[in-house]
Amino acid sequence: MLKIKNLHATVAGNKILKGLNLELKAGEVHAIMGPNGAGKSTLGNVLAGREAYDVTEGEIIFNGKNLLELEPEERACEGVFLAFQYPVEIPGVNNTYFLRAALNAQRKYRGEEALDSVSFLRLVREKLKILHIGDGLLHRAVNEGFSGGEKKRNEIFQMAVLEPTLAILDETDSGLDIDALKTVAEGVNRLRSPDRGMIVITHYQRLLDYIVPDKVHVLADGKLVATGGADLALKLEEQGYAWLEDGGIATLDVDSVEQMANP
Amino acid sequence: MSELSAQLIAALPENFGSGPGWLKVLRQAGAEEFRAHGLPTRKDEAWKYTGLGTLAQGEVMLATDFEVMVSGSTHPKPLVENELQINMLDGQFLAEIGNQRPGLTVLPMADALIHGLTGLQALLESLTETQLKTGSTHGFSALNSATLESGVVIHVAAGTDAGSLSLIWSTRAAEAPLLFNSRICVILEQDAKLELLEHFESPNDNANTSNIVLQADLGVNAVFQHIRFQQESDDATLITRTEISQQAESEYAYYGFDLGGGLVRHDVHTSIKGSGAKSAINGAYLLDGNRHVDNHARVDHIAPGGFSDQYFRGVAGGRGRAVFNTAVCVHPGADETEARQSNANILLSARAEVDTKPELEIYADEVVASHGATVGQLDEQAVFYMRSRGLSEPDARQLLTTAFCRSVSDKLADQVLGELISKRMMDVMPQAE
Repeated sequence: MLKIKNLHATVAGNKILKGLNLELKAGEVHAIMGPNGAGKSTLGNVLAGREAYDVTEGEIIFNGKNLLELEPEERACEGVFLAFQYPVEIPGVNNTYFLRAALNAQRKYRGEEALDSVSFLRLVREKLKILHIGDGLLHRAVNEGFSGGEKKRNEIFQMAVLEPTLAILDETDSGLDIDALKTVAEGVNRLRSPDRGMIVITHYQRLLDYIVPDKVHVLADGKLVATGGADLALKLEEQGYAWLEDGGIATLDVDSVEQMANP
Repeated sequence: MSELSAQLIAALPENFGSGPGWLKVLRQAGAEEFRAHGLPTRKDEAWKYTGLGTLAQGEVMLATDFEVMVSGSTHPKPLVENELQINMLDGQFLAEIGNQRPGLTVLPMADALIHGLTGLQALLESLTETQLKTGSTHGFSALNSATLESGVVIHVAAGTDAGSLSLIWSTRAAEAPLLFNSRICVILEQDAKLELLEHFESPNDNANTSNIVLQADLGVNAVFQHIRFQQESDDATLITRTEISQQAESEYAYYGFDLGGGLVRHDVHTSIKGSGAKSAINGAYLLDGNRHVDNHARVDHIAPGGFSDQYFRGVAGGRGRAVFNTAVCVHPGADETEARQSNANILLSARAEVDTKPELEIYADEVVASHGATVGQLDEQAVFYMRSRGLSEPDARQLLTTAFCRSVSDKLADQVLGELISKRMMDVMPQAE
């Protein structure tokens, strides 16, 4: 589904990603962990097509298409969804109205009929029920005045309605208390499907207690430096990220170890 | 003095004849003031950013003969069907559609001037007085007084809820562009209530100028909701002035929507003369092409315990130019006043311009006042967020600008009307360049 080869990206002239390789198959959930500043969020933003991020080398192939040639909205229509670390508040734009406009833009792109408001509301109610989210957020402006937990839930709700084939969750756990974290994780788990790939970007192992990944990657200094199973996350939690600098990778029982960018 | 002013002075009627003596005096005073000052120029502080260039070049003729209007002219379709609708053509009372509720009196100005109506003389005379007090010479108002004849008088008896009334303004193309003067007087007695929807729309083939003054006197505890929607033709000039006087506990709410017009100037001024009165002055303006829209809003808190809220949102694209001036003056003795001013603007083009100026003067105690004025671009984070969900860039921008202006139409209690105005705004929303 997704192949990232030798990805290099810069932000405002600073090199952030320095040769990242990743392959994700449909149905898989991959976690990407790493210390602050490793480039985790950059990866999410590059995948979604944020303009401030310049890809200087490498390629991203998504379902046979060169993702880097597509505009952000085309990527969305092709099935890419980024759950934002900091969802944007849009005063005055009703959440339901916005989501329907987005869904219908995607349906139009795929040559499908637009959903009328009645069918859309039926769909929305169904999704809210599955995710155990109240309908209060439907009547509010997009993320305006939402608490941290509400914003993240709203991202998961959007994901459920838009049904992407590739979902990237960018630090969806940050700033959440344990109850909100559980609700969000539960929502994500309900959206796991054989046709959908997911990349869960997180700093802490905590989220992975609830969303058990098929693979865990360690991102450090712009590259994936280690890949393992779900238990890798636990080891990281025990030892922290400090060992990365000490060449501690060798002590880990991992599937593969890549050369550090600056040995 | 400009050539246009000289032309207009020459065209002023010689004789201020028909009607009662006070009316003759009032017209004469207007004529004298206009002869002395003419139309405003950029040298007048209140007109610094708004020149009459395009108007002056247009060789506008003063419309002075008040002939009976031809019937069958096409009038714009009202936004909503109200119980009572008055069609105004070329500044004059053309037709009345619907029924007047008991306690509501609506008369053509000319009839009211001849037959008289309680409070009308005092209200008309108060305009000059207000001008003297605020020290603002307003040539257009003087011209309006000098030619006072056309318009509408609306009177609501004490304790009456008069419901909703529409005033639909339109002008016809003439051989040469014309300048029409018209006066609306609204008298709400104690505990009276009225909703007035003014709608300005003319066919796109004329370059007329409308100079309209609306004066309202709100009795104790009266409620006046005033919605003003204009989508005038690109070459039209619309000069309007709204002058409100508020007694204790009365409420005035103004919602202005400027979607059209080549040169638009609107002055809205409320005087809070009785304690505990409330004034909410809201507006949205959308400019594209070469349009120029100037809004001047001012609240004078004279009595204590008043509340005022000025809320304006503007979007300027193309070579559009918006001028916004919001002023609050809390006079000595107007203690415990609360006054808010907020103006935010979005510029969509490098050639568009917004001049915004908040003014605040406080001479009383225990006053809560806030003001803010911003001019900026669209939130690019929000644009990206929307695109990342599948919306095209133009759609994302349009949704954002419309939402920005919707914050004004959403304030309307009538949601159906708010929705209709919001759709109209979306239709004319300037595009980003």
